[in-house]
Amino acid sequence: MSAALTVKNTAADALHLENIVKHFDGAVALAGASLRVRRGTVHGLVGQNGAGKSTLIKLLAGLHQPDEGRIEIDGQTYGKLTPHQVEELGIHFIHQDRLLVPTFTVGETLFLGREPRIAGTPFLDRRLMQRRASEILNDYFGVRLPNSALISELSTAEKQIVQITRALLDQPKVLVFDEPTAALVRREADILFRLIRRLRDEGVTIVYISHYLNEIEELCDHVTVLRNGEDVATLALGETSAAAIARLMVARDIEEMFPKRSIAPGKDILTLNRLSSRGKYHDISVTLRRGEVLGLTGLLGSGAKDLIRTLFGLETATSGTIEIDGKPVRSVNPAQSVDRHLALVPEDRRANGVALDLSVTENITLSSLKRFTQLGFLDFRRERREADDLIGRLEIKAAGRDALVRTLSGGNQQKVAIAKWLSRHSEIYLLDEPTVGVDIGSKVEIYNLIGDLAARGAGIIVLSSDLPELIGITDRILVLFRGSIVREFVSPETSPDEVLAASTGSSEALRHVG
Amino acid sequence: MASLTSSTETPDLSRAVIGVIVNNALVLALVAVLAVFSVATPTFLTLANLQSILVNNFTLLAIVAIAMTFAVSVGGIDLSVGTAIDFASFAFVSLVLAGQPVAFAALAGLGAGAAVGAFNAVLISGIGISPFLATLGTLFIGRSIQQLLTSGGNPVYLPPSGVPEAFRFLGRGTIAGIPVPLIIAALIIVGATLILTRARFGRVALAIGIQPSVVRYSGIAVRAHVAVAFILAGLIAAVAGLILSATVTVYIPSSGNAFLLNAIGATFIGTTHSRLGRPNVPGTVLGVLLLSIVANGLLLTGLNFYWQQVGTGLLIFAVLALSFINRRKATA
Repeated sequence: MSAALTVKNTAADALHLENIVKHFDGAVALAGASLRVRRGTVHGLVGQNGAGKSTLIKLLAGLHQPDEGRIEIDGQTYGKLTPHQVEELGIHFIHQDRLLVPTFTVGETLFLGREPRIAGTPFLDRRLMQRRASEILNDYFGVRLPNSALISELSTAEKQIVQITRALLDQPKVLVFDEPTAALVRREADILFRLIRRLRDEGVTIVYISHYLNEIEELCDHVTVLRNGEDVATLALGETSAAAIARLMVARDIEEMFPKRSIAPGKDILTLNRLSSRGKYHDISVTLRRGEVLGLTGLLGSGAKDLIRTLFGLETATSGTIEIDGKPVRSVNPAQSVDRHLALVPEDRRANGVALDLSVTENITLSSLKRFTQLGFLDFRRERREADDLIGRLEIKAAGRDALVRTLSGGNQQKVAIAKWLSRHSEIYLLDEPTVGVDIGSKVEIYNLIGDLAARGAGIIVLSSDLPELIGITDRILVLFRGSIVREFVSPETSPDEVLAASTGSSEALRHVG
Repeated sequence: MASLTSSTETPDLSRAVIGVIVNNALVLALVAVLAVFSVATPTFLTLANLQSILVNNFTLLAIVAIAMTFAVSVGGIDLSVGTAIDFASFAFVSLVLAGQPVAFAALAGLGAGAAVGAFNAVLISGIGISPFLATLGTLFIGRSIQQLLTSGGNPVYLPPSGVPEAFRFLGRGTIAGIPVPLIIAALIIVGATLILTRARFGRVALAIGIQPSVVRYSGIAVRAHVAVAFILAGLIAAVAGLILSATVTVYIPSSGNAFLLNAIGATFIGTTHSRLGRPNVPGTVLGVLLLSIVANGLLLTGLNFYWQQVGTGLLIFAVLALSFINRRKATA
């Protein structure tokens, strides 16, 4: 099944999943996928959402049982795995989405279920717990986290450190990282990469799952590409490139990634005049025209996020004015903004973008219910027609319009989040990191959709830290640094390096400010 | 049941049968309980007894549980339904005693219940206190106010001679042989079902109960909807208060709290009737029926009164266990 198997067949395999078949309610999730990971290597696992990555990992974790195929760990074949058994075998999973209990302390989280006790007593040995935790935290991460700190007080990166530390306390043989950098800034990701390399050098086998192919390129020794529930290739990274991997994932050429179209901008739709919010951003003056896609970027704390939140009425500015279609407005809550045809596709999709336990239909019409209401009651037929129409137009892949959004892939969830605003006939779209956690195929579809919206006369602001994407889909880019617009770029005439330099406030880049 | 017809892709008969059982856990539990009591006691399956279940056990609890269902639908809970019952009952009985027209007294009673709901709404939507704590506070405050108003908890009786006909009709009258309270309960059941399943308000309420932040980000006034849900809860509970006092022709301070735990039980048993575990009126009504029948049946079997709640508790476990299996299947 593998097109280019370069991993040698030796007994040195830490993991060997062979011809795994798995069905869910009649749907094929895995159609004979194999994954062979050599001991002491970093092995990448990539594929679009729905390609079977998470199913394969859940099988390895003992959360599901395969219908066919076999799982070999350290040369030993297992028919059935339980989560407990997997942990005994020294396989640990670091999952971005895995929830830590926010009201637990670091110590409770690290030692839950295996608390060391003071010999001969039922009492917890807190000093030993702190010592063992500190050793690992200090040695591997160079950080100090008191065991008494609450999980809720930690940053995303620190929470991940706690997860990894919990695994390291068990001296793992295999560590599986599932999208570990999705919520990390670059500097934190670098720390993680150094850690992964060090663990590999210490003999730990790493399985690394990511949407970011540049990370795979940078970090992995081998990579296995999954597509439609099968492994289409396992490659050594020295012999391949991110572009080649991406082609294998989508079987489509990467040049089609950013469908560029030229739209003549129309009238001004949104004007910000010296908008300021104390301590966040100041003197922001921007004009957005119909048919224009405006890029916005900046590091954490640049004020870009706060600006977007202000525009949607989640925060208020302390001075300056906002005009929509030439009329001054002041929105103090999202309801007012939505009535003014503003739409926000928030970054934290699963928290604020879509309701996971509502159906596709219920999500799509949530904001536009009034259109389907007569005398307070809903017209289900018209509502269904609207949902079917948008599901078709946006090619949302779901088991049906009544499927819970929870069951959709990240890309399709994001399409639902956008469809909600199409149903509301929104005209100004604020897209905050619109393709985070979205597979490549869906990304292209979302880019196309943004182009369509602009062509229909909508004004669009995209906030993104994915600079090639930002350059690829916008007309111009504003860079925020410490609350001010420091540079403006015409998208086709700039490069990711140039934009990045400006957003880090590098003096070289800022000298161009005129 | 609609869910019976939905499984067209299950080839295996036994799997289909299991599916039917699990999807209709609540209905089957009801049938099972009916069967057991019919066999166990000769007097259970008589017209008189079934009527008695509906009138004495079912009616009031159904109304209170529907009030609770509205609070639960927005992701909250209303521990003060009893307070709304009592305030409504107090206003109703006192005004009738003072010689006011029954219709006016009834409206005042409904207003008193709605006011309890509005007080909760201010605490929850205005100040931002969690529904559990806000309504718990209302429960305590309400109890104190009633003691103050009744000099320490003395009941307010209507003298047998002074009970107006309309008042008596509300509690004990019949239309075409059907007790008036039962008719009122039926109307509320139908109305509440329509609101929760077909009205825009119901859709928004359930969405708030599931993921309020998304509803807010969709441009909907979440707090206003939560406020309306709690006012509705107070208003509906007040209806139960009117019927209760009209039936017994007396207001007894803090007697409404007797319904609280059963109303919560019925509402959450009812959520198991929905494939997605959502609060729903038909489920709540089935839950009330189940609790009513068990209470009545255990009484008839002559079982020690103190054992009855054990039966209720076990029943809740059984229904929850079945639905848990169901939920696991739905989300697998």
